[in-house]
Amino acid sequence: MTRKTIKYSFGAVVLIIAVSAFFAYKEYNRKQKDVAELSAAYTLSSDEILKAFSTDEKAANLKYLDKVISIKGILKSNNKDDEGTYTVVLGDSSSMSSVRCTMDSIHNGEAALLKTGESISVKGVCTGFNADEMLGSDVILNRCSIKNN
Amino acid sequence: MKKISTVFILFILSFQAIQAQGKFFTKTGKINFNATAPSSPEKIEGVNKAVTCVIDIKTGNMQFAVLMKGFEFERALMEEHFNENYVESSKFPKTEFKGSVSNNATVNYTKDGVYPVKVKGKLTMHGETKEVETDGKISIKGGKINATASFSVAFADYKITIPTLVSDKIAKKANIEVDCSLEPLK
Repeated sequence: MTRKTIKYSFGAVVLIIAVSAFFAYKEYNRKQKDVAELSAAYTLSSDEILKAFSTDEKAANLKYLDKVISIKGILKSNNKDDEGTYTVVLGDSSSMSSVRCTMDSIHNGEAALLKTGESISVKGVCTGFNADEMLGSDVILNRCSIKNN
Repeated sequence: MKKISTVFILFILSFQAIQAQGKFFTKTGKINFNATAPSSPEKIEGVNKAVTCVIDIKTGNMQFAVLMKGFEFERALMEEHFNENYVESSKFPKTEFKGSVSNNATVNYTKDGVYPVKVKGKLTMHGETKEVETDGKISIKGGKINATASFSVAFADYKITIPTLVSDKIAKKANIEVDCSLEPLK
């Protein structure tokens, strides 16, 4: 082995280590993507998704859980908690059940301007279905942003 | 006779109204999850802002429901590991607690104040059900209830295994903090 090959192979090893360390570091520090910039896997109305979950929760979980979905519906209520996070509630005001969307902190301001009764689209990640006879059964989305219709 | 039946109907109606008044609920309760090991250089914590909680102030019965996929972590990788490797949220999407306030009689729900409570019940997570008991606080202010509690759950109790590779970062027990502002159920 010449001195040159040793030098080159040493350099190559260092480079490989450096590159993999860089990617490992980047992967480790990876932040959640802004859902507003992702395209929705499914676009449907609040009634449609509520029906899908109430008729067959298992199938709906397989289809929608963890997916970016865009829900169109009537704004039933808009709740702000103590820390200022908005939860946008879509659905039929005569029913207890609704699609509840927790706003992403960077898109939180978009919810402040909404008016009850307005037709809006919300994009977020579906975290599941919470069935309750007394309180109504809800489909829940988080990391949401508002898309004006 | 007509009078009696009117009185009777009124009585039934008022009774129902009282019954409905006896329940408080929220769908925007918060649960903080912290499983940072003492030696860990980074924080292992997540928050869920869509916790459902109902309290029946008459009986002291309470129920919580949490969707595991709703926990948000600062690092995307941590959230993925939490969901895929540990709590297996696709298989077990929901965690539930059903229990009651053991000293419910000592809480005066009509008077503003802070009341220490003991809560006991069954926690179902990752397909396992275990008895849990914790101290908490019920604060009454202007007809609204704020319920807080802090307790820990051991991962082993719920058949969640933490690989030895990360055991210096992830503790054997997770500290759970509950904070729910409840409104009367109409």
